[in-house]
Order: sequence, then C-alpha cells, then structure tokens
Amino acid sequence: MKGEVTLDMVGQRRPRIDGPEKVSGRAVFTDDVRLPGMLHGRILRSRHQHAKILKLDTSKAEALPGVHAVVVAEDAKGIYATPNEPTICGDVTRYIGEELAGVAAIDERTAAEALELIEVEYEVLPSVSTIRQALKDDAPQVDEGFPGNIVSTDFDDWGTTEQSFDEADLIFEDKFVSRPTHNLFAEYHVVVADFSRPEKLDIWTPTQTAYLFQHSFAAAFKLSINQVRIVHLHTGGAFSGRGSVRPHHYIAALLSRKARRPVKIFSSGDEEFLICRTLGDNQYKLRTAVNRDGLVKAIDIEAVLDGGGQGHALGYFGWMVGKCMSWIMDLEGLRFARKVVLTNQRPNFLGHGGMMIGTNAGLMQQLQRIAKTLEIDPIDMLLKNAIEKGHIGMSGETFASCGLKECLEKVRDASGWKDKYGKLPKYHGIGVGMGSMAAGARGAFRHDTSAAMVKVGEDGLVTVFTGIPDMGQGTHTTMAMIAAEVLGITDSEISVVAGDTDITPVDVGAFAQRGTIMTGNAVKNAAEDARAQLAKNAAEWLEVDEAELVFHEGKIFVESDPEKNAPFAKVAHSTLHSKEGRYVMGRGFYTTPVDYGTAAWSFGAQVVEVKVDPDTGLVNVLKVWVAHDCGKAINPLAVEGQIDGQIYSAMSQVLYEECETDEGQYLNPSRLEYKMPRTYEMPDVEYIIVETNDPYGPFGAKEVGEGPIVVGGGAIAAAVADAVGSFLPEIPMTPFKVWREIRKNEYREQRKSA
Amino acid sequence: MAKHIMSLTVNGDKSEFAVDDTDTLLDVIRNQLSLTGTKRGCTTGSCGVCTVNNDRGEAMLSCLTLAREWDGESVTTIEGLEADGQLDAIQAAFVEFGAVQCGFCTPGVIMSAKALLNRYPQPTEEQINEGMAGVLCRCTGHIKVKDAIRNDFRLRHDLANQSKNKSDNDAQEFKPEPGFSYTGKK
Repeated sequence: MKGEVTLDMVGQRRPRIDGPEKVSGRAVFTDDVRLPGMLHGRILRSRHQHAKILKLDTSKAEALPGVHAVVVAEDAKGIYATPNEPTICGDVTRYIGEELAGVAAIDERTAAEALELIEVEYEVLPSVSTIRQALKDDAPQVDEGFPGNIVSTDFDDWGTTEQSFDEADLIFEDKFVSRPTHNLFAEYHVVVADFSRPEKLDIWTPTQTAYLFQHSFAAAFKLSINQVRIVHLHTGGAFSGRGSVRPHHYIAALLSRKARRPVKIFSSGDEEFLICRTLGDNQYKLRTAVNRDGLVKAIDIEAVLDGGGQGHALGYFGWMVGKCMSWIMDLEGLRFARKVVLTNQRPNFLGHGGMMIGTNAGLMQQLQRIAKTLEIDPIDMLLKNAIEKGHIGMSGETFASCGLKECLEKVRDASGWKDKYGKLPKYHGIGVGMGSMAAGARGAFRHDTSAAMVKVGEDGLVTVFTGIPDMGQGTHTTMAMIAAEVLGITDSEISVVAGDTDITPVDVGAFAQRGTIMTGNAVKNAAEDARAQLAKNAAEWLEVDEAELVFHEGKIFVESDPEKNAPFAKVAHSTLHSKEGRYVMGRGFYTTPVDYGTAAWSFGAQVVEVKVDPDTGLVNVLKVWVAHDCGKAINPLAVEGQIDGQIYSAMSQVLYEECETDEGQYLNPSRLEYKMPRTYEMPDVEYIIVETNDPYGPFGAKEVGEGPIVVGGGAIAAAVADAVGSFLPEIPMTPFKVWREIRKNEYREQRKSA
Repeated sequence: MAKHIMSLTVNGDKSEFAVDDTDTLLDVIRNQLSLTGTKRGCTTGSCGVCTVNNDRGEAMLSCLTLAREWDGESVTTIEGLEADGQLDAIQAAFVEFGAVQCGFCTPGVIMSAKALLNRYPQPTEEQINEGMAGVLCRCTGHIKVKDAIRNDFRLRHDLANQSKNKSDNDAQEFKPEPGFSYTGKK
C-alpha cells in the first residue's frame, strides 16, 4: 500500500481544533466542574520559615456549622509529595506556606472561616533564607537528615576536561545567578477530588501527566493503578509546573475520603505563589577553555542549586545545568557539578525551560565576551564550534538530524548581523544565542511510552484517543493532523478524546518535549493500523490488491487508475457489512529506539536587538529573529505560537521575573507586582522554520516546546551585555541591575582615562 | 450575612437573585448564572481573565466589581458575543490567527479586545498596546493576539459582505492603514 505520496495536512497552517470552544467560553476547565454535593476545601499554611509545631487544635474548626472534614498530619501519614516532603507537616515546618491542615466545608467562605479557628502554637527556630547562609559552618539546619544543608552533590566529567583546560590558550571565568521565578500559568492550581467510595478515586485537575498522577495517587492511597481515575479537562498552561502531585492534590483526596463527598480546592492569588514548584535562587560558576582561533575546547560549570525546603526532586534533574552544552558544541571536555542546598524557602524544582535558560544566559554572554576579546565575530565563533548531523555526543548520542549551522546562518542573514554587530550606537546592542533541546527523556520517568487508538466511525468520522494533555501547546490539533494525513482526510473530520485515564491509553505525558515525537508516532502508528484495516475492505470493494491503494482527499483509490475509487466514509460503513462484521479500530504505541534519553534533538539560533536606557537601566527589546530546526513543522501556525510564548517567557525570565522574598515572606505575590511583559513590551518576532526531517520523528518532526526559550534566554542576555558593554552577572536583568552595571562601567572608564 | 435581591441583565437575559454585600459580579456570573466562560483567576484585578463588558461596551473586571453596585445594569460576557450560532468576527479572528493556546485567559482577552474595538474599530498599534495591557497571556506572548485584533476589521467586513446582497453592497472598501499588516510582520 502506498502511503505518504504528498502531504495534504502536514505542513498546513491549521487553526486549533479546540479554538471555537475556547473563544466562545464553552471550554470546561477544572474550576468549572461542579459535582453533586461538592464541598470546598482550604488549606492552613505555615506562617514561619522554620518552627516546631507545639500544638495544633482543630476542635473549634470542626465544630463550626458547615464544616464537614478537617485533616491534619495524622490523616496524611505516609503520604509524601516528594520523597522527603510530607503532604501535611506535623512536627517541624521548614518554609512559609507549608501545609499544616485542610478543611472542607459547604462553601469557600465557611472553609476560610474554619481555618481562622484552628489554633497553632509555634516555637520559632533559627532559619536560613539564602544559599550563602545555608552553607555557613554554623548555619541552622533546615533538615537534620541532611547535615550542612546539603541534599546532594553530583558531578559528571566527560572527555578530557582537565587536560583541555591545561592546554587551552585562554580560560574565561564568570559567576552567574538566576533568581527564583514562578511558572504563573493563567489557570491557578486547582483540584476536584471525589473519594466518597473507597474503591475508586476520581481526580479532576490540570496536569502535564495524568499517567504519573495516577501512579502517585495509587501509591499514596494504596490503590491499584486503575482504581485511580485522573481527568484533565482543558489545562490552562503548565510551563514545567504541573508535572507532579502536590500536597493540595492529596489534601483534596483526604478531605473527600473523610467527608464522603467531592471536594474542590482552588488556590487564591497569593497562595499560588507559595505552592508553585519552580526555579530557585541558583548560582553558577562557568569556566570556558578556548584557543585563540575561537575553538571552544572545554567547559566546566559548577552549580549551587537552591532546593528550598525540599530539594530531592531537583537533585534528580541537576544534570540539566551542563549536559545541554554537549548538544550544541563539539567539546573535548565537559564537567558539570551541582550541589543542591536546602534553605527555608518554598521548595524548588524546574521552571519553563528546565533550568537551561539560566545556564544559557550565562554561557551565551560569556561566548560573546570571548569572541569580542579574540576579535572574532560571535556568529563565526558559534559556527566554528556548532555540531553537525551525524555528530556523536559526549554521552554516546547520535544526532541523526541537525540544522544548527543553518539556523545560525539564517538568523545572521535575516537580522543584518554583519552590518550591526560592533557598529551600533552606545547602549544599543545585538546578541546571538544557540541551543538544543532533547525531544523525549527515556529513563527520567517510569518509561517513555505513548499509546493511541484511532476509531473510524461508520460515518467516516474518526476519533483519536490519546492520554497526552493539551496545556495550550496544540498537541491535540497536531495529533488530529497526523491521523488525518495518514487516512487521507482532513483534521475537521477528526475529534480527539483525551484526558481521562478510564478511557484513554497510556501516555507518560506532555513534558521533556516528547509530545510530537512520542505521542505523534503512536498516533501515526494507530492511524496506519486503521488504514490497513480500511484498505482490506476497500480492496475487496474495488477488487484490487491492497498494495495498490492510496488514501487521499477523502477517497481511497487505485494509484494507477484514479477513476477506480471509493469514498472514505463509504468504506468505513461497509466494514460493518462485511462477512465478519468488521469494525475499524487502529492501535499504536511508540517509544524512542534508544535505551536512555532520546534519539532526536531540536536546534535553534536567535539574534536579538535591544536598546538600553542609560538613565534608567530599562531594556527595550526591539526585535527577535528566530530560526528553529523543529525537524518538520506539522503545523507552522502552532510552531510560531510556541515560539511566541517562549520569546515571551525567555524575555520575561531574563529581564523581569523574580520572586522577591524577605526571610521567606513573599514581597510580590501578585501579577501586578511580579513583573511579566505586557502588550507594549513585546518585540517584533521574525520566524524562520528550518526543516531537517528527522528520521525518528513523525513526518520528520522533532520539538518546538522548549528549544526556543533556552536559545532566547541566551540571545537576550547576550544582547543586553553587548548594549551595556559588560557581562551581567544576574538574571533577571531588572532596570536597577542594568543601571548599576552601566554606572560601574562609567566609573571604570573614568578611572582609566584619569 | 444579610441577603439582598438584585437584578442583572446578562447577554440580554434579565434575572433576579439574592446576593450578599461581598458577592462580586464574577461570583454571580459563574455561580448564580452558571456562565463559566468568565474565568476566575487572581480575583484581585491583576490578571484580567474575568473581564466582561458593561452596557457601554467597556471592559470591566468582574472580580473587583461588587454585585450589588451593578443592580439593574446589564453586562455582556464571552457567551454573549456569538449571534445566531456564528462566532463574532473577533472570536473568529482569534481562532484563525492562532491567538488562542491554553484558552484560560482567552475569554478575558477577547472581552478586552471587544471593548477596544468598540472604541476604535481600526485601532492603531498604540491603541492595541494600551487597550490590551490589562490582560496577561504567557502562552501567546500577546503576539498573535495583536494579529487577530489587527485583522478584526477586515474579517468583520468580510462577514458583513457575506450576509449582504452583492448588489446593494456599497459598504466602504477595506483599505489597510499604513503599517497595518496581515501577519504581524512588517
């Protein structure tokens, strides 16, 4: 049977399949769920950074009319949100906002009133707010189980790092800090739990992974995996912030079990800042060994990562600080060491862009500084070091497709780099960044399997069943397009059923940029299975061999004789009337062919032009040129949309976003004070999509979910550094920090000339 | 807390219900009328997802508006934009130009856009930036939202033409303003 003769759907700019639902207000999100008898939960949170809980008396709260359940540490015994993080704290609280009790009542107001009636007596203990305080010899201990406040210390050393540093012509060293951020998705943390029957736990919540949630809940409540049902409706953004079950999820289930009624917990505006799990106050020391011709020989990066009150999950992903550097440059040596430190702050994890946006913002600034010192054009230097297709990576990866050099050349030409670099007026800068992102991460989760089903209705309308959540990235539209392409119909004839573990097949979830490549391949396989079943019927109908059939424009026809054809819908219907009463249901699954990590990486390069106001330090991003090798743009409109969002977040993290705290207390816990770009701050974006047709990707596609943010972070930082004239040691580069750097440089110049 | 009877016209439908002094317009719209298209976000007026339009077609934050203050008034929510089962031009533009991603902020963003377009049918870049500054959207970075708004006028014109008889179509020709582009790329 002939397959992809020409591509009809793939490559088209298609609007989202859920667009009409979302623009009309019909799309249902978790906060819109109302179940019969549903109660409303609230959580009592610690007021102290570090304190012993001497007494916690809930009797008055329990006596309040309208209160149906109160849960405390005793009720949550043995349930941990992360390996060392109890769902409800009962003895020593380690950060402001830690969960102390939960209340479920007939409405939110009564629940809030009940919280006020819970009496807590604390014995305040000395605390540490920063990594520096935590690492002092006589520092108070956040957790006695981790002496010296150190959770984990790891390092990897690949190649000939030490020797390369010895042999290199020059060594550059910079220190760099990335300040804590928040994912700040539009839909706040929310959960509805129904555990009113002991044999089944139903959970509605926005998530990146129903599958891992199902496992976590099953383990916590000693249920079999399929006794837990996770429903994710539309999910209002995730940005690496919805990958794991948090205390509020478990507390909703505990309350529901106790009250025997469904319970909803919706987090209030400032609470949202306390319960996020994202990047902390991370510090890096970055050393690079280069030769005078611009060849980067080796990189040595040391990271001290702020785990906050818990850092165990973070330690597991600490490799992110350095590994990605071996995906872009052909290095002789790479050493990356990381230490996760406990502080009495909100527990930290990964943010939008993993933690690579911080390291790339440091690395790209440093590389541009090196190029300047060596009097080489920075893009020429990146081109000299960039990897190519067929490169074997330092941990054995084979890069089967790679458009890194093409991306660099294209942004260079589109941006007019040669006419701008080094020629712009003072405080007007231009910077370049490059990066890579793995599409998939086998070994990081339980497994890396995605499965899918394709049901062909008797009317020819097709339903795709997938477990992958769409948090806005458009993956359901992508899946519909892939299935439509295989079946020779359009995406408007396909509906996607997702987000209910009782219905949809296994899918590890939407993270590690695995959606398009893993789930996409699973859907492709399932659609091909359905196509083969349809072909059998069509062949009988048309009295030809199955191998001669082509599925195209809603018809199944004989390739050599197009006049001989049958409409798709009629063939679908005819299967039911076949002798055996056939019904077409395709199934498919996929995981990466390699044992660890992935077989496909996206690549990208960006050039950013900025203007800095020397009097205020305010950075104005003028324009961003983005070239991204996503393998194949299944839907260029969605690819552009992903790039837009990531330019926004990259710019936001590099220039604005910072959770400011004073002794663990948030100083800016609202969207007014926690600065993100508004309409008038957004630059023009020019998109250049580079297609390298990866052999492993569905129709050659790789990823565009997190590549551009990493590249953008580097490029924007490099552009600001170029405008200011020196390395900026901290992100976000808020006006004050930029202003201070400008004043420092002025002072240095005056001293030089004096 | 004492309850008061109030009336409110939402999307043309008038209804009466009991509220207390602290109930907001958002509470009434979502909980009493079950119009869940208007979203609950920060509830402190900083994210804009709860934006609705008042009877003058201006944007207002329903989370910061006490319901009782709006007794006897009328408002339009996202559910009120469709007419005869057809999306409004701005809704259609949001779908066509990819201005929707996760969709949680979308109702608030569209109601802000609607208010902007009520005031300026063909807004300038500055007017768009100013008019849309009250909503935050991390997914789209506002880029394709601006695209959709720039194209609303043309789409509205096209939709109007479709429903009109061709012969009596003497409506003004669509002329792009200088600096106006279909793709957002200049």
